[in-house]
Amino acid sequence: MTAITTTDAPKSRLDFTRLILWLFAAFMIVLIVLPLSWLVLFAFTDKARHPTLQNFVTLFTDPAFLDPLLTTAIIATTSAVMCCIVAAPISWLVSRTDMPGRQIIRALVTASFVTPPFLGAVAWELLAAPNSGMLNQLYRYLTGAEDPLFDIYSLTGLIFVISCYTFPFVFVLVANALDNMPGELEDASAILGGKAWTTARRVTIPLALPALVAGALIAFLQAMTLFGSPAILALPAGFHTMTTKIWSLFQYPPKLELAAAAAVPLLLLTILLLQGQKFLLGRRGFSVVGGKYGPPRSIEMGGWRWAALAFCLIVLLNPVFLPYFALLNAAFSPNGTTLVTPSTATLHNIVFVFTELSSTQLALKNTVILGASTATIGTILALVVAYVTTRRVIASHRMLGFLATAPVAVPGIVLGVGLFLSYTRPPIVLYGTLWILLLAFLTINLPSAYQQLQAAFATIHPELEDASRILGATRLQSLRRITAPLLRTGVIATWCFIFIGVMRELSAAIVLFTSQTKVLSVLIYDLNESGDLAAIAVLGIAMLVITFAVVLAVNRIPMFGGAGARLRNS
Amino acid sequence: MASVDLRGLTKRFGALAVVDNVSLKIDHGQLVCLLGPSGCGKTTTLRLIAGFLEPSDGEIHVGDRLVSSKARTLPPEQRNMSMIFQSYALWPHMTVTENIVYGLRLRKLDRNIIAKKLAAILGTTKLEALAQRYPGELSGGQQQRVALARALIVEPETLLLDEPLSNLDANLREEMRFEIRRLHDEYRYTTVYVTHDQSEAMTTADLIAVMNGGRIDQLGTPEDIYARPESEFVARFIGASNVIKGTARDADHVSFAGATLKVVGAQLTAGQGAVVAIRQHDIGLSMQAPASSENAIKAVVTRQVYLGASRDYMVEIADGTSLRATTPTETNVPKGSEVWLTLPPERCRALSR
Repeated sequence: MTAITTTDAPKSRLDFTRLILWLFAAFMIVLIVLPLSWLVLFAFTDKARHPTLQNFVTLFTDPAFLDPLLTTAIIATTSAVMCCIVAAPISWLVSRTDMPGRQIIRALVTASFVTPPFLGAVAWELLAAPNSGMLNQLYRYLTGAEDPLFDIYSLTGLIFVISCYTFPFVFVLVANALDNMPGELEDASAILGGKAWTTARRVTIPLALPALVAGALIAFLQAMTLFGSPAILALPAGFHTMTTKIWSLFQYPPKLELAAAAAVPLLLLTILLLQGQKFLLGRRGFSVVGGKYGPPRSIEMGGWRWAALAFCLIVLLNPVFLPYFALLNAAFSPNGTTLVTPSTATLHNIVFVFTELSSTQLALKNTVILGASTATIGTILALVVAYVTTRRVIASHRMLGFLATAPVAVPGIVLGVGLFLSYTRPPIVLYGTLWILLLAFLTINLPSAYQQLQAAFATIHPELEDASRILGATRLQSLRRITAPLLRTGVIATWCFIFIGVMRELSAAIVLFTSQTKVLSVLIYDLNESGDLAAIAVLGIAMLVITFAVVLAVNRIPMFGGAGARLRNS
Repeated sequence: MASVDLRGLTKRFGALAVVDNVSLKIDHGQLVCLLGPSGCGKTTTLRLIAGFLEPSDGEIHVGDRLVSSKARTLPPEQRNMSMIFQSYALWPHMTVTENIVYGLRLRKLDRNIIAKKLAAILGTTKLEALAQRYPGELSGGQQQRVALARALIVEPETLLLDEPLSNLDANLREEMRFEIRRLHDEYRYTTVYVTHDQSEAMTTADLIAVMNGGRIDQLGTPEDIYARPESEFVARFIGASNVIKGTARDADHVSFAGATLKVVGAQLTAGQGAVVAIRQHDIGLSMQAPASSENAIKAVVTRQVYLGASRDYMVEIADGTSLRATTPTETNVPKGSEVWLTLPPERCRALSR
């Protein structure tokens, strides 16, 4: 019977694609489950691997650990509150009023978003170190005072700098909620007799509140798990946060069990906060998105609009204008904090970084290799998982989706500890190679890459693929000729996103690097320890230049189909 | 020859049988409509035929090939079928021409042959002027024609249509209905057409399969389905019917509200409950008592609406049953009047289910 022979082949091919998908699933399990298992194992055992709770007893009784825990709580809480106080009015002004320059303000907030926090911290060292800081120099020059105005090496200074680079998270969430809030909801209140203030109080604010609280939770999380800024600012001031404490446990003599145990509260708290955020946003926050609503009306502010713009610009002085000015100045200044004039300007720093500093070449090479390979592998991985989950190709697609999102709950330093424990012993020794950094960066960036591509897939109607199948194309042909071209923009954006993420990653790299696998962010951290701030400025600027160059280049590669294709969904 | 033969086709999602033991033989060149309300399993049946889904039970044969069974399912690309989707599924990154010739390019046809076929189908579907446009630049009707051209150019053995007209406005829908039938008559492929719109099914189909709850409730020509419904579901779903519940007196008489109705259709058993369907416009309504008392019932008008071409009456019978009747506009009886209803025996259909 011919029927049997024709139907045998496709069945086996289908199993082949399933096999590939199962391989992906296995890889993801290794990527995420393995390091966390080692982490938990170490946290609950002693050096001989006998089960014990002693690590946690030490953690919660020894002041050397209790103090950082408390400090971290203070920093995270205060930063979250600060971020909300600053971000809420700015996002409202940008989203709902006729303030001039709204687009510029948005762009500037994005600029502080993409600034690596450790670079910002170094810039604020240049500005507000007690003796050499430029703002303190200016203050002394103007007033003749002896004491400095600011001391960035303090709890207040640290909270300030963390808030500078965390408030964009709150801004994005709140501005998004306000942008998407249907104008009709406010109009309905107005037509029923609600005055502007009543409408704001009874309608606008309650609708935006979940987004604000969710933003506060994210800010708390960021502040809690950040490594770079506390390491740069808190260590010279003589105190520790949880992340710097975990890092210090890796210094000689290493106390891996304690490091693992210290990572556990961070992990649990992160999971808890993310659940809270999901709950808040899931219930009301964005439920108004969609449907045929008109855009919201903007509020006319009359003469106040310039005052509002001034307020935004003054706020943005702190994360953007002042730090970037300080970095640019330092790059051409003889000692980092002297104001550059035509007579003092020098190229010495640039020459030093690129010719004399031996590790620059290596770090640049490593960073670009890791950035490009993480971005490529991560995009492919996220693409496959997003395809499987949106098209429900295999039965366990939910599990795959969960695995891809799970690393969101693992702070960089915790993952670093987990990977260190997993791959420093046989059978797989990756420590000391770029592979372990690749795994770390891949895991860290997977959740956002997956979410981006899943959103991209969701906009492509499954019938577009079905139509291709029924006309005679195989699943792979359909993916290549229909799905891939339609996903092009999303894929490129995701690739760039991961590349940038790798460039700015420090907290996992700091635990995993060796002298041969140094990356740019670690090099910057090292240079800070040796006090070479001018060199950091040069490297920081180089980092931004590389980022822009790569993003531009990637956008020009005609990856799939013609670049002129019009991506319009009918 | 590509007949399509469904044998005991079943598709379960979990415990729920969305398609439940459906058997249907479609001869080559026939156009069959799967008609039913949303959720009746018609689209699932179509996707089973296309090979997008694997059956939980049963078989699908196309011609003399077994294409789907529980054990093996031929993937859609190897079935030599075409499909028109509810969303049209035009690829937004390809021009009209690129969309249409996609299937031919996959078949690696000669460039000249492709050009010739393209010109012919563009002519048939009146799309010549739009050949270089992108789907996003077309109106709904134009998109629909592109979808049609794309499906037809590969000369499929079987054409599947999934609610192809539901996104069009009323005028265009009527026009495209006849267009689909005309193209079917021209090319004579076997067609399965899924719709929830009974007039669409009436105007296009050779055979209509009315589906309900995953099963085929009744299979027949449009006339069969309309004039001779077998079940209460079909009577209510197709056209506007009154459904009367009474008791059978003998094989073809039903007692109802003190009157006796002579009925046709299913054979009745005396003493058992009987369900009778009659169309609204088959009911006669007048102020005078009719000459013959056969199948005549007294009623009171409770509502009357002037519809332009006709009048729509709601009347109530002594036992409280409400019936609707559609009459010519000349029959003008005010609300509250007593009237005589005549239910012609040949229009009163006793239903078997």
